[in-house]
Order: sequence, then C-alpha cells, then structure tokens
Amino acid sequence: MSDIVPELFTDEEKDILQEVMNIAFGQASADLAEVIDIFVILSVPEIHVLKGHQLPGYLCEELQSSGTVNIIEQGFLGKFSGQALLIFPTGAEKELLTLFNQDQELTTLDIDIDILEQETLVEVGNILIGACIGKIAELLSDVVTYDPPRLIAKDYCLEDCQQSPVPAESFAISIRTVFRFDQQNVEGYLFLITNQHSIDWLKKALSTFLESFE
Amino acid sequence: MLSSVLIVDDSPVARMIMKKCLPANHGLTVYEAGDGKQGVKQYLKQCPDLTFLDLTMPVMDGFQALTEIKKNNPKAIVIVVTADVQEKVLQRVAALGALHTVKKPPSKATILDALQQATAALEIQESS
Repeated sequence: MSDIVPELFTDEEKDILQEVMNIAFGQASADLAEVIDIFVILSVPEIHVLKGHQLPGYLCEELQSSGTVNIIEQGFLGKFSGQALLIFPTGAEKELLTLFNQDQELTTLDIDIDILEQETLVEVGNILIGACIGKIAELLSDVVTYDPPRLIAKDYCLEDCQQSPVPAESFAISIRTVFRFDQQNVEGYLFLITNQHSIDWLKKALSTFLESFE
Repeated sequence: MLSSVLIVDDSPVARMIMKKCLPANHGLTVYEAGDGKQGVKQYLKQCPDLTFLDLTMPVMDGFQALTEIKKNNPKAIVIVVTADVQEKVLQRVAALGALHTVKKPPSKATILDALQQATAALEIQESS
C-alpha cells in the first residue's frame, strides 16, 4: 500500500525509522519472552503515515479478515509524544490468558474471567508498547513517560466504524509489524499516533541517529 | 586473515550502518544482499570469509538462509546481526551453526569483536 501522506518522510527517513522499529520490536519480543514462555515471530516492519481520520478505513483494509478487534491504548510523553495503539483481533485475549496462566494460578483468584482476559490484553500491551517506545526513545536520545495502558475498545467492529479512535488531524505512523505468537495463533498490530510537532522532532532525531555512525 | 565479508540485510540503512561500523582501512571486500535468498546466492557466488546475516527479512528469512548456507558449506562462518534477541532465537541460530550473534544496533566495538571471533575461527579452520 502506498502512503496516504507521502510527503511526510523521505525514503531514507522511512528506512531509518523501519530499522529503529525493527530494533524496538526485537527488544519488545525479548521482554515479553522473559515474562511468559513464548516465542514471538516478528515480521519485517512496514511504515505508513496517514491522518487520524483515515485510520478506520486503513485498519479495516489491513485487518479485513479479523472482524472485530480489541484496542489497547497507551499515551507516551517526551520529545516524541503520542498514543500507541496495539490491536488484537477479538479472541486473542483468550489465547493470551492461556499463555499467562499456564500454571492455572490466575483462575484460582476470585476474578471474573472476562476481567482477567482484559487485564491480560492490557498487560501484554504494557510490555510490548513500553519496550517498543522505550527503545525508540533510547535510540533517538529521548526520555518518555507513560500513561497507564487501557483497553479503549472492546469488540470494535472496523467495518461499521465511521469514527476514528484518534483525533482526525493527528498523524498515525502505522507500523505494520505483526507479532505472531508461535504456540498460539495470535497476531497483533501496533500503531503510533503522533502530531506534527513530534514528527518534526522525529525527522531530526532519525538524521542524528544515522550521523552517530559516521 | 579475513579478506571478504557479505552483509545480508533487507534494510539499506542497516547495511550502511554495518559498513560504517567496520574498522577504518579494513581492506575487506564487502558484498551485500537485500534478503535471504539473495544472500544465499551471493554466498555461493562470492564465497566470503564471513557473512553477517539479519534474521527478519522478506522473501527468505535469516534462519532459512543460514540453513541453506550451512548446507552448502558446513564450515561457513556466519554471524547473525539481529534485533530479535529472544533467548530461543539465540539458541536456534547457534544450533543452526552461527558462530556468534550481534545485537542491533551494532557498534564499532561489537563489530570489531565479531571480526576477531571470525578471524580466530578462520585460523582454526586453516590450521586443521
């Protein structure tokens, strides 16, 4: 798919961003693997930039076969600020809870199974988003703080959706890396939503990152 | 003594970073490939002393490429350069015969260390 906002990044900037994201996703997978015995298969990150109001249509196109989805959102604040959205097809929460609950400890707690599943999604989001954004910040010499992750949409039907989950005028950097969990057939998608100010900073930071190897 | 290296990575930026991390005046002939399939092809054509191999690539990933290279030449010296630093990944590439793994992003120090390890491995091969 070609970019919807093609002029925002040069090809070289997108290459650098792709490599930075590749490194960040690698870190995120390793962090998740430390928490649960899971092997995460990574795909090559694809970077696309679009405006917030274009996000529902884009998500619908990208996740066409998924039907409804659950969306975990976490805000991050630094020179690079915005929201990270981690999107899992509905059903992934059950698979992920199985992974977290291999010793059945969680189900002995007096907590509703739906709540446990939601909390699992939020915690997976926390780990993946935190590692990913943290690594981007580290590589680009930024420091970020985070809002708590939260489930902002449950069983969200992309095809019926006309309203974007993010501000219409924001920029969505779509990083179409798919996390595929080896034992469970679960795939997740990560999107970073940011603004013009952060994009300007990001472009400079990417250039500085590359110059650091000179 | 190493005389040639092959860098296999789908990212042109990653390949450029790798080249910048090689020591100054290294005197190495550097070959490049943009995915695993091209990497295997280049390996067979150029027979480099050392191959730096990324894992997450389109067309053919690094695991498959490593398997193919080792199938053709069990003595091939391959160092994996990857962002995917999961323990199971490190174990898998070691089992497939990678000499060493460098975590992305590489640095001049980690690449120098990798070159020294490859040189030592090559010397052992040549003396046996």
